[in-house]
Amino acid sequence: MKKLLAGLATALLTLTAPAMAQDYPDRPLMMMVSYGAGGATDFQARIVTMTAGNEDALGQPIAIVNKPGAGGRVGWNWLATQADADGYTLGAYNVPHFIAQSIEGGVEYSTDSFEPIANWGADPAVFVVGADSEFDTMEDVVNWAKENPGKLTFSGAGLFVGHHIAALQLEKAAGVKLAYIPNNKGGAGAMKAVIAGEVMGGVNNLSDAFRAREAGNVKILGVFDLDRSDFLPDVPTMAEQGFDIDNASVNFRGVMVPKGTPQEVIDVLAEKVPAMFENDRVKGKMKAGGSPMHVMTRDEVIEMWQARQATLEELLAGL
Amino acid sequence: MEFIGYFGEVFQPVSFMLLLIGTIGGLILGATPGLSPTMAVALLIPFTFQLEAAQGLILLGAAYTSTVAGGAVSAILLKIPGAPANIATTLDGHTMAKQGRGAEALQLSFLASAVGGVFGVFLLIFLTPVLAQWALAFGPSHLFWLAILGVTVIGTLDSNSVVKGLLSGCIGMWLATIGFDDIMGAQRFIFHPELSGGINIIPALIGLFAIPQVLTMFARGREPSGAEVLAVQRHPIRKAIGETLRRYKSLILGTGIGSFIGLIPGVGGQIAGLVAYDQARKFSSERRKFGTGHSEGVIAAESANNAMVGPSLVPLLTLSVPGSPTAAVLLGGLLIHGIFPGSDLFDNHPDVAWTFINSMLVGQILMCIFGLYVAGLAARVAQVPQSVMAALVLGLAVFGSYSVQNSMGDVYVMAALGVGMYFLERFGFAAAPLVLGLILGPIAEANFIQGSMIADATTGRLTYFFGGALNLALIGIVLASVIYSAWMEIRQRRIDRKDEEALA
Amino acid sequence: MSRWQHVVPSGIVAAVGIWVCWISYTQQPAQAFLFPRLISTVFVVLALWTFGKAVLGWSRVGDGISRRIFINIAPGLLVLLIYVFWAARALGFYTAGTLAFFILLSLYDPAPHSEAKSWIKRAAITLGFLGVMYGLFAGVLNVFTPREVLFQ
Repeated sequence: MKKLLAGLATALLTLTAPAMAQDYPDRPLMMMVSYGAGGATDFQARIVTMTAGNEDALGQPIAIVNKPGAGGRVGWNWLATQADADGYTLGAYNVPHFIAQSIEGGVEYSTDSFEPIANWGADPAVFVVGADSEFDTMEDVVNWAKENPGKLTFSGAGLFVGHHIAALQLEKAAGVKLAYIPNNKGGAGAMKAVIAGEVMGGVNNLSDAFRAREAGNVKILGVFDLDRSDFLPDVPTMAEQGFDIDNASVNFRGVMVPKGTPQEVIDVLAEKVPAMFENDRVKGKMKAGGSPMHVMTRDEVIEMWQARQATLEELLAGL
Repeated sequence: MEFIGYFGEVFQPVSFMLLLIGTIGGLILGATPGLSPTMAVALLIPFTFQLEAAQGLILLGAAYTSTVAGGAVSAILLKIPGAPANIATTLDGHTMAKQGRGAEALQLSFLASAVGGVFGVFLLIFLTPVLAQWALAFGPSHLFWLAILGVTVIGTLDSNSVVKGLLSGCIGMWLATIGFDDIMGAQRFIFHPELSGGINIIPALIGLFAIPQVLTMFARGREPSGAEVLAVQRHPIRKAIGETLRRYKSLILGTGIGSFIGLIPGVGGQIAGLVAYDQARKFSSERRKFGTGHSEGVIAAESANNAMVGPSLVPLLTLSVPGSPTAAVLLGGLLIHGIFPGSDLFDNHPDVAWTFINSMLVGQILMCIFGLYVAGLAARVAQVPQSVMAALVLGLAVFGSYSVQNSMGDVYVMAALGVGMYFLERFGFAAAPLVLGLILGPIAEANFIQGSMIADATTGRLTYFFGGALNLALIGIVLASVIYSAWMEIRQRRIDRKDEEALA
Repeated sequence: MSRWQHVVPSGIVAAVGIWVCWISYTQQPAQAFLFPRLISTVFVVLALWTFGKAVLGWSRVGDGISRRIFINIAPGLLVLLIYVFWAARALGFYTAGTLAFFILLSLYDPAPHSEAKSWIKRAAITLGFLGVMYGLFAGVLNVFTPREVLFQ
């Protein structure tokens, strides 16, 4: 009996194993997004995966599943420890968020828990103030903060996410003490706090800030990136305004799979997914939504993750 | 009056078809346990990729309005609230269904929903700029007091013992703290890895309401057939309309409270139904009938949760700030078509903006007509034999709670809470205050912590939480609510004592 | 109903309350446990109050669990627990759901167990249930359920 069962098992294995690499994917895939439906990551994930079912892409649709909570920790914990590494479970990553969280500790993942596939977007953080604010440049902000140390309240999406990193960089570069107020409703909640005047300013996503400025609600004072953004050619970078801040807080979004996913599957995905992002319809929708795209291949992402890991370890060591 | 010009768009054949599909589909999705309006709208977004902007939004708008109303169907017939908004509907609605008055309860709920919903959309049309300022006026300190106002409702909600009601509320608030805390990211009470995501409100809701139902049906054992085939009373629509109008007080209260609370970002529709239910009870002359299948309870709760639909979109449409999870999903639906909410929407795409708003208006009416039409038929669910019903509700509960975020952990939480709740209910604890605690705990906590952080950096906690007209007004309402409840309780006891003496 | 029936649940609630309170006051970081401390203190006070009332026999609210109810519930509860905590994942959602549905129907359906007709009826209802669930969740909503045995 035991022999029979073992034979049956091997038969099943041989039946399914080679079929995997050739026919993969032969059923719909699932992509976990560790933020709620309607957030920037969720919205972009839905757009960039909308052509997955096309024959020239994966040939199978990708369904988005949201596992929000605690700044993404819930979803990434799930992906690292509970998700099936069968190639049918993908996850969206946000760098620097998950790397910063893994350095801070208390989570069950690190860069070693995942295999990157491709990057689709890069959303820099920007500094915003209400439309009627007295501040017009970053210099005004910093001068006020120097006169009133620890009293300049400004909002961001949470602790150990891109906005928080940007805030830390600003404090360090300008040599001032600020009051960072993390919001429990993510970037949208942080933006509302700025518009409503609950806080004096805020760090937020470029895409959301761009939209809020179009609506006439905020002024954007600076970009936490190396270069100005195509969406905001008139807004100077922090470096241009005399603050030594690099692109460590830029929110890179992309696709990854849990460690242990078969190498053949990773190869298939790494080849097809970047091409899927380059689709014209995807590009059009992303541009219309004010979401900056930045496609990177698997090798480039591996390098980017390593670079971030080093910068963040240094930056967070002082905390 | 600009909106009238765009009604033509809504009645184009394709648009109207989409409106019908959205409404009917929304009712069915809303009635499915586990599918909250937010989920239903998120599921429909991919379909709008293929449509024009205005048409896509018609579909989403119609689905939003009708899923909120559809949640009442499962709340009344199965005692499973489709979304937190429908909790209050179970209290009287399901009791009515158990008395064979399911058709009546459904009709009342659809009529009240339509009245509240239409009023809410009118607010959106005429008062948007004014309301937007209102919505923004609520900062962390105000939201904290608002949550406390909700807490004052807890003790008296659906429990015969105030202490056990409050205790249930405390259990709920504790359950809400399980998992990573939202601001600091610290781990709290994670005694099982499946709990690291915290307790998701929808599976908890399903478990707490549906599983005790299932076990209660088990408790009856193998009843001989025909022992309890309920005669489902037919109820003419004319009478339902009459009843709704006669209960105008509850209707006005529900609509008013629903639109007011719906406007406030972050609190949203979750507690609108419960607060309206509680207030309607306080102001009603037939206070004691609440909870025993009283029409006012259904009317107040359902008018409130649909009235909140229109105002909840105000911050989104004017300021581009989504005030509720559903609004956030709708924002995605707009952005995909390259439309930015805010002044851009009304200045450059008035056709899209007004067609969307009109579709919600027409959607409310269609939903009401369709709902009234099927109410009699749907009420026959009460005639399904106990054994089939128990197995069916269990199956729906498992599939529904799993589908919220494809998580087995949610199913475990659902079942564990549900089984525990059944036993607690047998000893006088109640599910509704527990759920209210589960909803309000995080709102109170997050806003308290955020408020204190801002206060510490600026004016100090005392001035921050107790200063300003709005804070004082809210504190006043909280105090009034507590004092009024206490006074009613004392008066009630005096009446009871007199009754007992009279009997003796 | 005996007084001791009230003592057991309120005792469990009080024990949970004390445990929650203890954790809230001992765990770090303190700021994250500020709110849990507040709640758990109220929780413990109310729970001990309820427990005290139960011990003294003053609890009047609630109907308790009679012997008959317990005997009626036990088999169904057992099926429920096995279904949710083991079968749903081990056998796949649809297989486990169908089995649980059929077993519960057989346990609680009043139609006689000796007649073939009633068994056919039960099977038919179960198949109907399976069809609706599969159509709704797999067909319309595209939910990815744990799938083994059946419905690869």
